[in-house]
Amino acid sequence: MTDHWTARSEPLLDAEERVSGRKLYVDDLRLPDTLVARFLRSPNAHARIVSIDVSRALATPGVKSVITGLDAPRRYGVLPVGHDETALAVDKVRYAGQEVACVAAETEEIAEDALRKIVIQYELLTAHLSAHSAMAATHHLVHDDKPGNIEKEYHHSFGDSVRGLAEADVVVADTFYHPRVSQAATEPHGTLARFDGADHWTIWTSTQTPRHVQRGVALALDVPAESIRVIPCAVGGGFGGKSETFPQDVSAALLSRITGAPVRIRLSREEVFTLHRGRPENYVRMRLGLRRDGKVTAVECEVIQDGGAFCGYGVATILYSGALLGAIYDIDNIRYDGYRVLTNKPACGPMRGHGTIATRHAFEALLDQAAVALDLDPLDVRRANLLKPNSRTVNDLRVTSYGYPECLERVAEASSWKARRGRMPRGRGLGMAGSHYVSGAANSIVRGSSPHSTVVIEIDPSGRVTLLTGAAEIGQGSDTVLALVAARRLGLEASAIRVISGDTALTPPDLGSYSSRVTFMTGNAALEAATRLAARLKQAAGKRLGLPPDALVLAGGAVRSAPGGPMLLAFQDAVRMAAGGEGQLIEKGSYLPPGEAQGGRFPGSGVGPGVAYSYSAQVVEVQVNEETGEVRVERVWAAHDCGKALNPQAVMGQVEGSVWMGLGQALSEELHYSPQGLLLNGGLLEYRIPGAVESPPVEVFIVESHDPEGPFGAKEAGEGSVAAVIPALTNAIHDAIGVWITELPITPERVLAAIQRQGHGSGAKPALPRPRRRENASARP
Amino acid sequence: MQKEALRLRVNGSLREALVPHHRSLLDFLRDDLELTGTKRGCDDGSCGACTVLLDGCSRLSCITLAHGVPGRSVTTIEGAGQPGRLSDLQLAFISEGGLQCGFCTPGMVLAAGALLQRIPHPSEEQVREGLSNNSCRCTGYGRIVQAVRRAAGAPEETP
Amino acid sequence: MIGLPSFRLHRPTSIEEAVGLLAEHRDDAKLLAGGTDLLVNLRHGLATPSHIVSLAEVPGLDRIDCSPEHGLTIGALSTLESLATHPGVEESFPVVVRAARTISGPTLRAMGTVGGNLCLDTRCHWYNQSFFWRQACGFCLKKDGTACHVAPGSSLCWAAYSGDLAPAFLVLGAEIKLLSVRGERRVPLDRFFLDDGLRKFDMASDELLTQVCVSATRAHLRGVYSKLRIRGALDYPLAGVAAAARIAGGGTFHEAALALTAVGPRPFLVEGATEILEGLRANDEDAIERVAHLARRLSNPMNTTWAMQPAYRRLRVGLFARDALREMGERGP
Repeated sequence: MTDHWTARSEPLLDAEERVSGRKLYVDDLRLPDTLVARFLRSPNAHARIVSIDVSRALATPGVKSVITGLDAPRRYGVLPVGHDETALAVDKVRYAGQEVACVAAETEEIAEDALRKIVIQYELLTAHLSAHSAMAATHHLVHDDKPGNIEKEYHHSFGDSVRGLAEADVVVADTFYHPRVSQAATEPHGTLARFDGADHWTIWTSTQTPRHVQRGVALALDVPAESIRVIPCAVGGGFGGKSETFPQDVSAALLSRITGAPVRIRLSREEVFTLHRGRPENYVRMRLGLRRDGKVTAVECEVIQDGGAFCGYGVATILYSGALLGAIYDIDNIRYDGYRVLTNKPACGPMRGHGTIATRHAFEALLDQAAVALDLDPLDVRRANLLKPNSRTVNDLRVTSYGYPECLERVAEASSWKARRGRMPRGRGLGMAGSHYVSGAANSIVRGSSPHSTVVIEIDPSGRVTLLTGAAEIGQGSDTVLALVAARRLGLEASAIRVISGDTALTPPDLGSYSSRVTFMTGNAALEAATRLAARLKQAAGKRLGLPPDALVLAGGAVRSAPGGPMLLAFQDAVRMAAGGEGQLIEKGSYLPPGEAQGGRFPGSGVGPGVAYSYSAQVVEVQVNEETGEVRVERVWAAHDCGKALNPQAVMGQVEGSVWMGLGQALSEELHYSPQGLLLNGGLLEYRIPGAVESPPVEVFIVESHDPEGPFGAKEAGEGSVAAVIPALTNAIHDAIGVWITELPITPERVLAAIQRQGHGSGAKPALPRPRRRENASARP
Repeated sequence: MQKEALRLRVNGSLREALVPHHRSLLDFLRDDLELTGTKRGCDDGSCGACTVLLDGCSRLSCITLAHGVPGRSVTTIEGAGQPGRLSDLQLAFISEGGLQCGFCTPGMVLAAGALLQRIPHPSEEQVREGLSNNSCRCTGYGRIVQAVRRAAGAPEETP
Repeated sequence: MIGLPSFRLHRPTSIEEAVGLLAEHRDDAKLLAGGTDLLVNLRHGLATPSHIVSLAEVPGLDRIDCSPEHGLTIGALSTLESLATHPGVEESFPVVVRAARTISGPTLRAMGTVGGNLCLDTRCHWYNQSFFWRQACGFCLKKDGTACHVAPGSSLCWAAYSGDLAPAFLVLGAEIKLLSVRGERRVPLDRFFLDDGLRKFDMASDELLTQVCVSATRAHLRGVYSKLRIRGALDYPLAGVAAAARIAGGGTFHEAALALTAVGPRPFLVEGATEILEGLRANDEDAIERVAHLARRLSNPMNTTWAMQPAYRRLRVGLFARDALREMGERGP
C-alpha cells in the first residue's frame, strides 16, 4: 500500500451544523429543572477571609444552595507540581475577582440577588501586583511555601555561553516587555453538571481537555476520576484558555450533588477575562553573539514571567520559554535563566504559542540588530544558522523534519525581499522572522507510560464507520483530520466516518487538544487503528477472492487490485466477511512518543521536547507614520512547514488565524490592571482584538517537509506561526523608520517614544525587574 | 416583575410568550423560544455573535429588548438556512473555509446577508466595513471576506 | 450581570404621551431609543431607572429633511446609518456624514440614533464597569460614590464625552429642539453641553430631544471629521476633530470652525478659530498652525482611559486640526 496522500481540502465535517447554528455549545443545552449558579467574587487582590456569613443568601426564596471554599477544600491543579488551587477561596483570596462563594438558585436574578446578601469580612494583605514588587516581597507572600513569590526558577546552561560570546564578532543585547494578553475566545466558558446518583456525575463543559477536567474535578471533590463523565460540547474557540479544570466545573458538580438538580454556570464576558489563563507578562533580557558571517555563537536569556496567583501551566510556560531557544537554529551555547513569579492577579495559562512568543520576539529582533551591525541581510543571517534535519540540539531536543529553510526562501521570494527590503521610501518597510512550535509535547503532564492517544474505530455490518477519540474538537478541525486519516486507510470518503470525540465515558484516553498534538499523536493512533482494520478487511477479502492480501487495496469504497482498478468486493461485503460471527469490527490504535524524543535528563528537561517541530517564516510589510507613530500592516507572507497538509484549507485557516492573533498581540491587545488589581478592560470593547477593517491580508504558503513519524508525514499547523509575526513586524518597522520596538503592544505612543529615544541617543526604557540570584539554585545538565 | 404578552414574528411564524419587560431579545430567542443558534458572546454589543435580522437589517439582540421591537419581523440563523437547504452565503462560508469554531458564524452569516441586501456586489473594503460589528477570533477574517464576496458573485481570487 | 435588571417598559405611541411619561416619572425614567448605550449601562447598574420609556412606537421622529434652501432637520430617532448613507446630507453637509460613518459599525449604526449619539453618556474607565467592579474600587463621583479617581479631590466629573456627531453639528452651528410638557425650546448646540460629566447636558429629566437643525446658510461648507481610535472601526473616539469652512473662489477661508470631542467632558467649538482664519488664504500655513495650536491647547483630555495618554491625544488633536484645514483648502467637498 502506498502512503501517497492526495491533498484535497475538506470542509469541517460539522461545517453545515456550525454554519446553520445547530451545533450545540454548552450554553445551548437544556435539561429540565436546571438550576443556575453565580459566583461571589473577591473585591480584593490579596486578603485573609476572616468570616463568611451566607445565612441571608441561603434564606432567599428560590435559592437552593450556597457553597464556600470549605465545601470543596481539596487542592487541585493541572500540573502535578502545581496543586495550589481550590474551586472557591479557602482562608484567603489571592486576586481581585477570585471566586469566594457560589449560589445555586432557580434563576440568575435570584442568584445575583442572593450574592449581595453574603457578608464577608476581609483582612487586607499587601497585594503584589507586579513581578517587580512580588519578587522583592518578604511578607504576605502569595503562597506561604513560595519564598520571594517565585513559583519556580530554572537555570540552564548548555555548551559555554561565556566562551561563545567571547568568540563573537558582535554582541547585541536588549530588553523586551510583553504585557498580558487573553485568548478571548468568542464563546464564554460554561458548565452544566448533573449528579447522576451513586457517586456519578455528568459534566458538559467548554473544554479542550476533557480528561484534565475529569481529573481535576475528581481531585477537588475527592472522588475517583471514573465517577466523573465529562462531555465536551462544541467549543467556541479555545486557544489554550479552556485546558484546565475551572471553579465553575467543580462548583456546578458539587452544587448538583447538594441540590439533586442539574446546575448550569455560564460566565459573563467580564468573568471570562477575570478567569484569564492567558499569556503572562513577560520581561526578557537577551544577549546574542554572532560571528562576522552571521553565525550565532551563543545566546543568553533571562525571562521573568508574572504568572498570577496560581501555578496553572506556569512551570511549563517558563520552561518552554527557554527550551525553545533551541530547535529552530543551530546554536552551540545557550544559557537560560527563567523565573516564574506569583502575583496577586488572575492565573495565566497555556495560550497559543505557549511560552514561546516573547523569547522568539527577542531572539528574532536581536538577529536583525546583529544583521544591521554586521551589515548583513537578515535573510542571510538566518540562512547561516540553519539546523540539519534529523539532528539533536545542544539542549537535547530531537529535530526530525525541518522545513524552515524552505519557509524562509518561500516568503523571501513572495515578498521580493532582496529587491525591496531597505529600498523602499522612508516609512515603508519589510521585516522577516521565524518561529516554531512543538507538534505535540513528547512528555505528558500526567507522568506514566500510558499512550498519549488511543483511538478506537468500529465498523458495523452495514459498513458504517465510527471513530472514537478523546481529543476535543474545538473548531480547529481535529475531528475532520482524524476522519481523513482513517478514511484514507480504509479507502472511504471522510464524510463516511462518524467521529465521536471527547466524551470521557465513551472514548478511549487522550490527553486532549493542546500543545498542537492532535494531528500528530491522535492522528497516528487513528492511523494505527485504521491500518489494523484495513489488514483484517484485506485478509478476509483475499480469502474470499483467492488473492493474497498484499495484492489488494481499499479504495473508492471497495476492495480493488489497484486504486483506479475495478471493484472486486464492496466495502460492506469485506466488512461482513472480516467480522464473521462478531458482527462488528473493532480495532484500536495508540500513540506513545518515542523515548529518544523525550529530551535530556536535567531539572526541567521534560518540557520543550516535541515529537516533531513545525516551522514558520514570515515577512511583514508595514507603513509607519513618523509624525503620529501609527503603524499599518499592509500585508503578511507566511510559510508554514506542517510536514504534510492533510487538509490544506484547514492548515491555511490555522496559519492565517495564528498570524492574525499574533498581530493582535503585537498591535492592540493588552490587559490593564488598576492600582488595586482590578482588570480595567475586561470587555471586548476595551480589550481590542482586531476587527475585519484593520486586519491585513495574510498570504499563506504550505511547506511540506514530510515528517518521518507524522501520520502521512503531517505535523501541527495551529501554533507555530503565532510568534514570528511579532518580530517580523518590529523588524519591518526598523526597516521603515530605523527604530527597534521592544515593547508590546506597538502603540503610536511607543513608536514616537522610540523615535525620540533614538534622537536623544541612549535609551530610557522602563526598567525590568531584577531577580535575586540564589547561588545554589543553579542546575547544570 | 412586569410580564406582558409578546407577539413577534420569528422566522416567519408568529410566536407568543409571556415575557418580562426587561428581557433582551437574545434571551427571549434563546430561553423562551429555544432558538439557540443566536449566540451570547459579550453582553454589551461588542462582539456581534448575537446578530439577528430585523426586517432584513442586522441587529444586536443582546442590547435589544424583546418588547422593544413591536411589529417587526425577526430572522435568526434557524430561519436563514438549515442543512439540506443552506443559503448560497452559508455554502460559501463552508467552501471558502470562512469558519472554524463556528461560534461567531450565525451572527456573521446574518450580518453578511444584511450587507448583501444593502450592497449586492461589495468591494473587499465594503465587506470588511460591513462586518465590523462582528468579531471572529479564529480566522483572521480573510476567508470570511472571501466567502461573502464569492456569494456575491465575485470571481475567485488569484493571489 | 448577564441579564438586565427589572424595570417597567412604557411604549408611548405619540410624542405627547412620551413627554407625559417623562414628566410623570422624571429622574426615575430613562428614554430608550436605539439602546446601544442605555442597555449596556443598565447591565452595569450605571442607570437604575424603574421606568423605561421606549420611543420605538412614537411616529414622526425619524425624518431627515435636507435641502440647500431650507437647511437640514434631522429627527432625533433617525438612525446613524440613515444619516451616514444619506446622499443629500453628504452633498450639502458633508462633515455630518463623515462623522456618522466613523461610528462603530453598520449594525450598531442601524440601531443607534442621532439623538442617542448626541446624548451619549460620558465615558471613563472608572465608570464604564460592572457593579461588582465599581463596588470593588469604592465607586466614583459619577455614580454611587463620592471620589473622582481621575482627578482626586475634584468636585467635577472628568468622564469624556465620546459622541462623534456633536462636533460635526457644532461646526455647522446646529440647534436642537427639546420638548416637554412645558413646551418646546430651541437650544444652540454649543450651549447644550456642560463641562461636567455629572450634569452633561442642559436638559431637564422631563425633556426629550426631538430634532437637530442646521441652517441653510451652512450648506455646502467643506467638512472633515477625524477620529483617533485604535481599531479601524467599533471604537469610541479617544479624540475627535470636526472642521468646516467655505473656501471662496479666491481660495480663502470663510465661516471656518473647528470642534473637538472626546478630549473633555463636553464637545466644544475651538473658540477663536473662525476669527483667525476668516478671509485668510487656505494655504496660509502660519494661520493653520496657529489654529492647530489653539485646538491642542484647548483640548483637555484626562486619564479617563488607560488606552492612550492625554499628551498623545492632545498631540493628535493638533495634527487633526492642521490636516483638516489643509484638506479643506486643497480640495472639496
